[in-house]
Amino acid sequence: KITLPPLTNSFFFLYDSSKVQEEVDLTRDGIYYFSPEDTPIDQQELLCGQLAGVCRCVSELSSSPVRLLHLRKSKYAVRMKDKFLWALSCVVDIPDVSVCDLLDQLIALFCFYNGPVRQSYQLYSKQELALRWARYLCHLQGGSTELHHIFSCLRTIDSTHIDPLLLLKAALILQACQRCPLVLAGCILYRGRVVSTQMPPALTVKVMVYETQTYSQDFQVTANGLSSLVGSPFSSTATTQVFLMPTELHMLRCPPVDRACRSHCNQPPCQPSRSRLLSRTLSDTPTTDTDSSMPSSPRSSLSDELCFSPSPSRVNTPIHSNLMNQSEYFTPDSHVHSTSNGTNLCAVEEHLAGLNINQIKSEENKLDANNHVTNKNGNGETEEEAKTKSKQINRKLKEKNEPTNTPSPHETLEDTSLVPLVLYQHRVKGLVLALLVEPEFITDHSAREEVHHSSLASLNGLEAHLRNTSPGTPGPPGPYTFAHYDCIQNTLTTNVCGRSVGPQDQAFVKATKLVHSHFSRLDTLQEAIVRNASSAVYGTRTTAQETYFLQQGTPVRNSGSPDPQDSAFSLPRKARLRLLKHGVNLL
Amino acid sequence: MKCLLLANESAEVLFYWTDTEFEQRVQEQYGVSQEEGERLPAFEDSINTLFAPIIISCSTMVDRLGDNYTSFSTENNHIYVLHQFEECLYIAVNGDGDETEEDLKRKIFVMKKLTEIMFGMVTFSGALLRKELRPQDTEQRNRLWKKLRSLLETYSRLRENDQSFLVEAVERLIHPTLCEQCIEFLERRLVQQINSNMDRMGEEVLHAFILVHTKLLAFYSSRNASNLYSSDLLALIILVQDLYPSKINLDETSEELESSSVPEVFYTPEPSPPERESVRQRGDSPPVFQFVDPDVQMAEDSLQTLEAPTPDPSAPSRVFLESKECPMPHSMYCLPLWPGITLVLLTKIPNSHVATSVCYFLEAFVKLEKRLCEGHEGAAAMRGQPSVQEQRSRLEKLIKTWAGMDIQTSQLQNAWTDFKNKAFICCPLCTGSFLQLSAWAAVKKLMDWKDFLLVKSKRNITMEFPGLIHFIYVDRSNGQMIAPSLNVTDRTVSELGKGPLADFIKKKVWSLVATAQRYLQKGYATVTLRDGDYFYCYFLWFENETGYKLEVIDIPSSPDDGAPVGMLTCDYYRKLLRYYSKKHQNEVVKCYELFTVHLGVIPNEYILQHCSQLARKLWEPTRIPLL
Repeated sequence: KITLPPLTNSFFFLYDSSKVQEEVDLTRDGIYYFSPEDTPIDQQELLCGQLAGVCRCVSELSSSPVRLLHLRKSKYAVRMKDKFLWALSCVVDIPDVSVCDLLDQLIALFCFYNGPVRQSYQLYSKQELALRWARYLCHLQGGSTELHHIFSCLRTIDSTHIDPLLLLKAALILQACQRCPLVLAGCILYRGRVVSTQMPPALTVKVMVYETQTYSQDFQVTANGLSSLVGSPFSSTATTQVFLMPTELHMLRCPPVDRACRSHCNQPPCQPSRSRLLSRTLSDTPTTDTDSSMPSSPRSSLSDELCFSPSPSRVNTPIHSNLMNQSEYFTPDSHVHSTSNGTNLCAVEEHLAGLNINQIKSEENKLDANNHVTNKNGNGETEEEAKTKSKQINRKLKEKNEPTNTPSPHETLEDTSLVPLVLYQHRVKGLVLALLVEPEFITDHSAREEVHHSSLASLNGLEAHLRNTSPGTPGPPGPYTFAHYDCIQNTLTTNVCGRSVGPQDQAFVKATKLVHSHFSRLDTLQEAIVRNASSAVYGTRTTAQETYFLQQGTPVRNSGSPDPQDSAFSLPRKARLRLLKHGVNLL
Repeated sequence: MKCLLLANESAEVLFYWTDTEFEQRVQEQYGVSQEEGERLPAFEDSINTLFAPIIISCSTMVDRLGDNYTSFSTENNHIYVLHQFEECLYIAVNGDGDETEEDLKRKIFVMKKLTEIMFGMVTFSGALLRKELRPQDTEQRNRLWKKLRSLLETYSRLRENDQSFLVEAVERLIHPTLCEQCIEFLERRLVQQINSNMDRMGEEVLHAFILVHTKLLAFYSSRNASNLYSSDLLALIILVQDLYPSKINLDETSEELESSSVPEVFYTPEPSPPERESVRQRGDSPPVFQFVDPDVQMAEDSLQTLEAPTPDPSAPSRVFLESKECPMPHSMYCLPLWPGITLVLLTKIPNSHVATSVCYFLEAFVKLEKRLCEGHEGAAAMRGQPSVQEQRSRLEKLIKTWAGMDIQTSQLQNAWTDFKNKAFICCPLCTGSFLQLSAWAAVKKLMDWKDFLLVKSKRNITMEFPGLIHFIYVDRSNGQMIAPSLNVTDRTVSELGKGPLADFIKKKVWSLVATAQRYLQKGYATVTLRDGDYFYCYFLWFENETGYKLEVIDIPSSPDDGAPVGMLTCDYYRKLLRYYSKKHQNEVVKCYELFTVHLGVIPNEYILQHCSQLARKLWEPTRIPLL
């Protein structure tokens, strides 16, 4: 039986109520983005209008923004901020905490790549940004199991089938990169899954957007295309401007000792993302030294070699530089498209719209050939191209910027609270090294060289090893089902595989949802056993992990009356025994 | 910060209740002037304005999306729960963290139940309910709303403090001998004597019971009586508690029983609203049976019964009880024997059979109206449904019969009003002297037991199991529960029995029941939890009459917007038993629940052994005949 991911039939929208204030204003003017995009406009208006109206009414009554809205057939996680309203729906049996996390992740993703929302919509058309929302939404929905949605966790490489030395090697590469003081933190991804990361989970997930999408099961065909493609030599680097929240930046900039302390103190990983949009006051504003000291050169989505030439244009205000980067970095799929080639962008668009996968495949192949040439043959031409392009962009920017008024005080406040940083990505076939670096990194030629060269050989080696590791045929599924969620690293280990879920697995997922929801509500709850006629599930948690366990097979006939012989009560013992070999220690 | 609101589809408020905090908040927010006398209507207006957008959006969602809101929550943890019953929308709000979404939903369903008990079949029709709940006359409306608010507050108080309202099952006093004697007394000295009296003017006692606080001492039903459902019995206890509130507070008990120990105030009872105080004093004073001429007490309408400033024991309240056909009107007489001990008589009123016909027509008309609204012509009636003409002739026949019964009825549109007049005419049960005699007999009967009963009601059952902190055992087949009192202060029972620790345990027990019900709603009949230093268990199982434990079945999981698990509201367990009985058609199926709280340090094996021993031991007392 195929179960659809819980968000497949969901609505997501961004609505700006400041656009709909007068009687004559049309609701559709306030709709910035609505997914699924083919929803009839009158239905979009109905939903947005009603939900926004009710949310405003309730938030006035309670003097607090609405967070959740339950309907009989669905539920909506809601965020209200500066006249904006985001709402993400899902089916009713997804835990509240999970859908709220998903919405927060979605908004955080948008801000990570685009900066403040209001400003983004001043710079770009709704259509352009719609494409991005669609991509982020797709990333969060894509290809993972329902369990992944419940815990909103990172997709990691299956470490049980990997030589631990490789993981060590990955960690060492990251540490080596950090020797360059401009490198804050990094992570290594292989085919859309995390191999090693130094970033907090909330950041890692943002960095992964394009990777996961490329390799997610939703895009199986494309992924296959790529895997054939990576057979050819393929290495490129790219940089993208990104925006971090002050809390995130603080975590990255504090020394490793503190970092260790952080995990010790056990700060819930999602906390910064929660606080971010809730209260942003002046006191939260970070030191703005990064803003002022930031050299404003065009961040390039082009191959790094291009940036070695001095930038032709310099922009001085942070906003301007931001505009600059944004428009230049129209589609940040830099790791795939290391040349700024129009056709490639098209291909990406189509890829996203899911229009014609075969065509995409051919485009990708073309692109691959292109890259290949570029990387091999030096880059005089491309540099030229880049210059022309950046000029064009500058022009475009000016045009765009002139009619826009100076930002309102509030927006300025919002701007200062997001700190621009640079995401550097070095791809070796299916392997990606992603580093969050200080903006100076781009202009610092020697730093770039150093990082590039110090990691190149090791990355190639790591890639080769990972490629040759058998994808890990999962051993015979044991007579049990389990899920182990690491709250600190935000990762999930489970033997519930893929999307075909048997009745026992369904029972397991159902119970897991309930117990997880219960854990999230009650801090002091340590373990739970829940049992119905056909299944019994044991859940246990500490501050660092949550583990769920189901023993398969038909339970012995019982009455459900209190009985010490009842097999359900032996689950904790069984779980301790069985899960040891999965590296889960419940002792 | 709490609020409960009833509105109809045209966003008209049919009833509201708020606590002072909510009222203040609204007034601050909207700057409502707080002039004496004008305060109420002005506040009602602002409530109306405040909620109107939500109410209107609800009907839009239903009309256009076929979906409806069930709850909202805000970042500062305010909860709004919404539920639509036919044309009537209920909204409950909590902003102080005292109540969960589930609690609010339950409150809504209880409110619905209370209106059903008070207004019977009127609740079937939105228009009629509106008339009933929102009388034109402001005075009358204020009186009614005050009564409803007081009922709601009584329920909330019981829900917060009384275990039988926590699990929604009637708690019995466990004393087999006394129980049996009382039942005999109710049968021979009360019901039989009253029913054989010629003065009773067609009224007939169907059920009689004695309550000690909220606990049931004895219950007797006459032979022709139909079953009194637990949901109704619980609702009636709310009505009785509203008339004669008993002060069951933790510290009061402890002071009473431990006058020797240093008085410590651990628990501050919530300040009662001033109007409650007077009622309480009345409840406290020794009952005096001063029966005025009963004919004077004739009430035309239940509303007028509410009007009466003092609850006169011989003035009955009209209650509508569930029966197979329709809510049947009954008269309820409450006779306080001592403070905390009440005798309740439920009588069948003459002409109550009229209710069945009225109910039939009311339903038929509601259906007809719906059909007409949907655009179907009366002629194109749906299959299997009588045509308009048929209905009309039936109704005419009925009205003729009524005329023969000396009821002034002539016009079709007056049918309902007239029924009401007829059905609501309260005939006094019997002459004052007779009622007085029965009450005296009851008083005499219980005199020796009085003090014992009052203490017993606070320390109903004790059990010695090392490490066991609390349990609740419920027999869902007869809707009764057994549990040690949480306000027990006797040192031999438990050191945990008083003070902040008792309060802590109480909170834990309350949350255990809520949790268990949530899992049960999703189909889980066994739950164990390790929470902090405690270990909690919950079991639900089925047995046949001989105590043989039947095989567990998959319990269907109910939707989130369904009725809450309980008996007072929509009686989940009655449905559950019916569901199970389908598979065991040739035997009587019984359903039991056990909730336990143990110390977490006790090994699980022992805890589970305790639970199974406990279930075995507790099975015995439930064998006591209650009828």
